[in-house]
Amino acid sequence: MAMMVPYGQRVTPDDRTTGARGLMRPRPVDRTVRIVVAALLAVWFALPVVPLLLWMVADRWSFPAPLPTEWGFSGAASAVAQGAVPAFGRSLVLGLVVAAIATPLGAMAARALTKGSVPAPRLVSGILLAPLALPAFVAVMGLTVVLLRARVPGLVAVVLLLVAAAIPYTVYTMRVAYAAHDMAYEEEARTLGAGRRHVLWRVHLPLVAPGLARAAFLAFLVGWSDYVITVLVGGGTIITLPLLVAGSAAGVGNSAVVAVLSISAILPPLLLLLVLGRFGRRYPVSNLPGSGSPRSRSAKGFL
Amino acid sequence: MKSPRRAVTAGALALGLAASLAACSAPAGDAADDQEYGSWEEVLEAADGQTVRLWMYGGDEQGNAYIDSELIPAAAEAGVTLERVPIADTPDALNRILSEVQAGETDGEVDLVWVNGNNFGTGKKAGAWECGWTEMLPNMELTDPADPLLQDDFGTPVDGCEAPWHKAQFTFAYNSETVTDVPSSMEELLEWARANPGRFTYPAPPDFTGSVFVRQVLYSVNGGYENVPLAFDQADFDEVTPALYEELTDLAPSLWREGATYPQDSNELNELFANGEVDFTMTYGPATLTELVANGTYPAGTKVVTFDEGTVGNASFLGLASTSGSKAGAMVVANIALSVEQQVAKALPDVWGQFTVLDLDQLSDEQRAEFDAVPSSPVVPAYDVLSENANPELASGWVSPIDEAWRQQVLAR
Repeated sequence: MAMMVPYGQRVTPDDRTTGARGLMRPRPVDRTVRIVVAALLAVWFALPVVPLLLWMVADRWSFPAPLPTEWGFSGAASAVAQGAVPAFGRSLVLGLVVAAIATPLGAMAARALTKGSVPAPRLVSGILLAPLALPAFVAVMGLTVVLLRARVPGLVAVVLLLVAAAIPYTVYTMRVAYAAHDMAYEEEARTLGAGRRHVLWRVHLPLVAPGLARAAFLAFLVGWSDYVITVLVGGGTIITLPLLVAGSAAGVGNSAVVAVLSISAILPPLLLLLVLGRFGRRYPVSNLPGSGSPRSRSAKGFL
Repeated sequence: MKSPRRAVTAGALALGLAASLAACSAPAGDAADDQEYGSWEEVLEAADGQTVRLWMYGGDEQGNAYIDSELIPAAAEAGVTLERVPIADTPDALNRILSEVQAGETDGEVDLVWVNGNNFGTGKKAGAWECGWTEMLPNMELTDPADPLLQDDFGTPVDGCEAPWHKAQFTFAYNSETVTDVPSSMEELLEWARANPGRFTYPAPPDFTGSVFVRQVLYSVNGGYENVPLAFDQADFDEVTPALYEELTDLAPSLWREGATYPQDSNELNELFANGEVDFTMTYGPATLTELVANGTYPAGTKVVTFDEGTVGNASFLGLASTSGSKAGAMVVANIALSVEQQVAKALPDVWGQFTVLDLDQLSDEQRAEFDAVPSSPVVPAYDVLSENANPELASGWVSPIDEAWRQQVLAR
């Protein structure tokens, strides 16, 4: 689109719409359809959460009453009594640790693959994506024995396996990011005399920051939501939120507790999504040499 | 400039946390606890300072609360740190132990497991359980050594591989607001289901509860448990089961959704009952009924029905993992769990309401008075009423063939 704008002229949103007049310009009917579809989708996603939110504050909700028949916080109290608060903290740390390890690893692998400096790139990316194809339970049953034999402490083993499970996501996300990444900026900085480290911190990382944020978010989710690996490999040394949710959901009459636990399990990813979304967009673009397009392009693509 | 640096700090912090968490998980103190103990005093001494992890199904809120507020403090008094590991299903614990067995682990992460039935039998065959330790527990003297429920666990000899914990009785509950002509036998219950189409169903085997129900019908169509040999034999199977599948196939059109589909597990049946879509539910853990009625999950008119011919009963146990590194501590906990004090606390309907495994005849007058003082539940009758004419469980060898034939003949009808 920028090509249609005469050289030296700044692109403003108005110019773009003018430039896109005719075929490119959205027609009012399309817009209405899009708004309706968006609204329906929003309802579709929000609707299942409504009963959960209601159950959170319900002490009693007997069929067929449309609303809770008795309001209260016994669900929350019971969740806390079962150790929801420390479990929440452990899940948070686990998710962050997995993200902190899997993101740089995924980024490095993706960069090497994109630059073409890897022999047999198809095989390597196949191996990197393999954990996606293998059902977690099958992998865990075999690996637990191996890890036990190797005397790997439970927590380290959990982190190792979760990182392996998260790597396909970070590699894939970062390959997309690097595909849109212009190496010329780094070369430019190098020619201008910047050191390797300087280029990494001032040019490379800021440019791929949105991609990193996306990758880290997905890796966090892997660590945050796992049950099988945490139970079987961790051997009960670390009791996380998913363990409490799965345990409670396996019994009848726990709806309020399950609601409280599930909603608290949704919150951190949701918050992270918002924070990272803003972080991805907000980085001071004007600081960069030749500010602009690759960044804003990938920033918009944030999930 | 600021943001990336902050990210590095955060990353370093996270890695540091991982390292410190890993450090925490390294075994503290002496590892393997595989020695033989000559006396209970030695066990107590070795247990002091040990940490014991009890893996149990986490869906029973009252059960969780009982462990947290009664058993954990009592264990702490004996110098044992007890931790509860909530799991969605008992096989999760068994899988972990079996992995540890395979890896030759001697300081495993599973110490005690709340277990019975198939999980016990499978585990025993695979060497998951430590055996011959329960006779050392002083409180075993309070149980009746001849009690068949404590000698065999679904036909698998207990052999001191698990310590008794409490008793359970297969129980039918109904909504007395909708059911007026209450059946008094299995036969009458099935008649009731035919007379009230769509108001009765049972979980599809191999769900534990659905499977028990089918075995209960097997007893009924054969004129009582006396006519079904407990040990499995193919010839017996061929003789006694045709009547069972004939009965269940004939019953199917009268069931919820015309028997086209069945609740996948007991939880689904319980939800149907809680929502008033069916009038009967069934459970092997009647202890939870009191609380489910009190908190409004089940209809206020929920009542328990007892059958003239009785229902099957069993006992739950605490299994000690063969890979445990805290065996002395686990034995101490199992012994405490068998004490009069803990058994009474667990029997209180507002605590957990579980039936004791102790033999009241072996207790002192004072101890018996404690059990007599346990208030009766407004929903669940006392154990002696509920367990009258109790039927024994078939050996676990029966379970899979019966469930499989049900799938072929009733489900796929």
